[in-house]
Amino acid sequence: MSEAGGPLPTRADVVVVGAGIIGLCTALHLARRGRSVAVLERGEPWGESSGANAGTLSLQVKRAEVLALTRRAIALWTEMQEGLGIACGFARIGGLRVATSERECAALRRVQAELAAHGVETEWHEGAALHALAPWLGPGVRAATLCDWDSMSNPLLVGHGLVAAVRRSGAAVIANAPVCAIEPAGDAWRVGAAGGAVAAGAVVIAAGAWSGALTAMLDVALPLAADVNMLTITEPAPALIDRIVTHVGGILSLKQYPNGTCMIGGGWQGRGDVRSGRREIEHENLVHNLRIAAQVVPALAHLRMVRSWAGFEGVAADALPVFGRLPGRTGIYINACARGGYSQGPALGEQMAELIAAGRTSLDMRPFDPSRFVN
Amino acid sequence: MSTVDVAVDVAVVGAGPAGLAAAAEAAAFGLSVAIVDDNPRPGGQYYRHPPPAFRPAAAAPADKERRRREAAFAVLAHPEVKYLPNATAWNLPEPGVLAIAAGERSGRLAARAIVVAAGAHDRPAAFPGWTLPGVVSAGGMQNLFKSQLIVPGTRAVVAGNGPLLFLIASNLVRAGLRVEALVEAAPIGVRLPAALPLLAWSPRLLGAALSYRAALSRARANVLAGWSVTEAHGNGAVEGVTVAPIDGNGRVDASRARRFACDLLVTGFGLVPSVELPRLAGAVLDYDRRRGGWTVRRDRNLETTVPGLYVVGDGACIGGVDLAEVEGRIAAAAIADRLGPQPGARARRADLLARRARQDRFRRGIELLFAPPGDFLALLTPETVVCRCEDVTFAELEACRAEGAAGAAAIKARTRMTMGRCQGRYCAPTLAQFLARAGGVDVAAVPMPRPRAPARPVVLGDLAHEAIAPPVLPDDPHLPRAPRA
Amino acid sequence: MRVKGGVERGEAFEFRFDGDVVTAFPGETVAGALLAAGRRGLRRTARLGMARGFYCGMGLCWECRVVIDGRPAQRACMVEARPGMRVESGPDAGAAEG
Repeated sequence: MSEAGGPLPTRADVVVVGAGIIGLCTALHLARRGRSVAVLERGEPWGESSGANAGTLSLQVKRAEVLALTRRAIALWTEMQEGLGIACGFARIGGLRVATSERECAALRRVQAELAAHGVETEWHEGAALHALAPWLGPGVRAATLCDWDSMSNPLLVGHGLVAAVRRSGAAVIANAPVCAIEPAGDAWRVGAAGGAVAAGAVVIAAGAWSGALTAMLDVALPLAADVNMLTITEPAPALIDRIVTHVGGILSLKQYPNGTCMIGGGWQGRGDVRSGRREIEHENLVHNLRIAAQVVPALAHLRMVRSWAGFEGVAADALPVFGRLPGRTGIYINACARGGYSQGPALGEQMAELIAAGRTSLDMRPFDPSRFVN
Repeated sequence: MSTVDVAVDVAVVGAGPAGLAAAAEAAAFGLSVAIVDDNPRPGGQYYRHPPPAFRPAAAAPADKERRRREAAFAVLAHPEVKYLPNATAWNLPEPGVLAIAAGERSGRLAARAIVVAAGAHDRPAAFPGWTLPGVVSAGGMQNLFKSQLIVPGTRAVVAGNGPLLFLIASNLVRAGLRVEALVEAAPIGVRLPAALPLLAWSPRLLGAALSYRAALSRARANVLAGWSVTEAHGNGAVEGVTVAPIDGNGRVDASRARRFACDLLVTGFGLVPSVELPRLAGAVLDYDRRRGGWTVRRDRNLETTVPGLYVVGDGACIGGVDLAEVEGRIAAAAIADRLGPQPGARARRADLLARRARQDRFRRGIELLFAPPGDFLALLTPETVVCRCEDVTFAELEACRAEGAAGAAAIKARTRMTMGRCQGRYCAPTLAQFLARAGGVDVAAVPMPRPRAPARPVVLGDLAHEAIAPPVLPDDPHLPRAPRA
Repeated sequence: MRVKGGVERGEAFEFRFDGDVVTAFPGETVAGALLAAGRRGLRRTARLGMARGFYCGMGLCWECRVVIDGRPAQRACMVEARPGMRVESGPDAGAAEG
């Protein structure tokens, strides 16, 4: 995705800062509503968190606050692949969230009850029935809940297809255009970036882990930080794991792609910082991550790991999305830092387009309003 | 090995000529040494030798090569040297620490200095038919010959670029094969007068080269200099090759093509340093096509831009076995001096540096003689496979360019090129040249992909053997957390 | 073919490649014994169905991978042949597309 996407336009209805999943989906939905949009990306489109993430789209690992949003997102993921023809590697294969001890089983029961209270039904499987359902699970797995919403995507494919779809919709996606200033210009905003400036009536900050630096340009401080999530991919193996696998403690995510490679993650932290861009794997955390993966799916122990990497993920202090109007800055919006925001991206983009175009959203987005962090 | 608590003065990665020399020099200065090598037996590629089950024939005298090898291996019996075969150094997770995968012995090794002597592998050059069985890399052919005493055919063509081709062709003649042709892309006949004064700095190696050339003449092999293989033919395995003249810009004159029947095509287009570990540690690299492409930047002591990390031999930049051994010793003497200080280390280092300077002159002569064409992209046809692991053809690369997706990330995403089991070793140089040509820039301006562990694929289950404390389980990342700086 | 002279090989033994009997000597790799027997093609690729065989000879290119005693993706150039081994050209791990 190194195509620069042409020169900076001088005007747009909306400038979106950041060409990751949330920024691109915001742009796509705005363009479909007839708005002219320029997406400014500091590096390569899809070059950071979205491109470096695991592609898991799991509903049952999400907190109650974001269940409706995530369910809407999974419907939109389906539509992106089937309706818009964007090859996403999307497959709704269902997910198993596993528990490996008595304590974890109890926790999983509580999670299942909470999901049910919010209208998400999952199936409880344990013992012989569980191992008949998923014979590839290790003997240490005591129980699992099956959620038929849980899906997967292939981030490599999504990025290419989504950038192309956004451009087809009429929006500009400009690479290597780091934003250096956001200033008022009459009743609009002037967004300065490498190569010029764009005048726009609205600006959406969708810059993931870099969003805090952008709101700081507007003298708005938000408690945003960055996780450094590690992922590992194995050599191709015969088809085996036919579900998304997650863990009740949130310490594992696992799936097998159609080409046979297995992707292992789970939020284990590497080392790095957003400012320098440096990120690398942390040895002991990686070993723990792989060890847990091999306990849950013992066949993994015989596979070779081919690549490990760490990617940034922007995250707010309460780990909920930061979505809405930036307080005191009319025309500036933020749509960023949702933990697990990759899976929610299509819905966050749709809702933002609704907010900008119609002034209100079809889902209740009030819990994510950035004003919760601003006195 | 019980993992992280193992600490030595010097950890050496690679038990080839450079690594063994570094270990020997360090041990001679009284330092404790660990040699980590992913082969079951020592020697790297250069000192490959038959397994113990092959007994020397009663009549066979110990030849020079064997005596040299045995002298190099003597260090393995040194009491201060710990030799770890079947052990893959797969990462440098922090300064002075190697992560090692070695079955139940997996773990980490701490050292006051690390010497990486990881050697090199064949530079890939894609051409139609290069994936056919019976098309064997130069390094692969040498290994098969030296360690198995097996030659995989009866009629051979040896083609590509570089001095190794002459050695291989003469070995094949010696083994009783019919060598149809040696096809060298560089016009070495024209360049020989200019290179000879430099080559004369190593009478031993020059003499060896002349003997290979003479053996090929006696065997009536065609020696075609300024020519390249353009296609390997065959149904299921190689049956013949087409060769044609090639100029310094990589243009091929198909009108003068010749065809040879063969059941073995050995191709070597030079070597690429194995720079994975230095890159993972953050060492700075420079592009030098004559020395193998991306080479490791080092100071006079062969220390990289990462303090305490030394890289020696072909794993830093291509220079051959004599240079590799002397580099291993220079690095070890420098480390001894730094950790010591050691009486005699300074003088020893000066002596070694002088020796290296002499060998550098011979190396420059070789580079002058064999300087390759700019690239071999002219050999590609739409059907030519450019990525072996993922079966990507040149037509697919061209399709990316036609659709405007000409960047490395887009090509990776669409084709999976560089993402297979070989970790890009046999396709990344081709992709870099393609990107350079597509972007109208020098290949040195095409950035390398971000380095990613493991340096070589490792069995996931091996890592579970490392004795580390049980994890502090992270909170569920979906739950609120305290904000961090 | 095996180079004569210089060494004495041990006692020959047999293993199977895709059901065919192959002769090997102690210390030979699977790839060495197969090449000595004239078996150059070791597998076909999943995507384009192309024949592949021994290439890099040092365990880096993975082109010579075969199934050995049911274990997929074993490098013939790195694994020593053993009496009675069952070596097969496929199936290769992973599906045809991805």
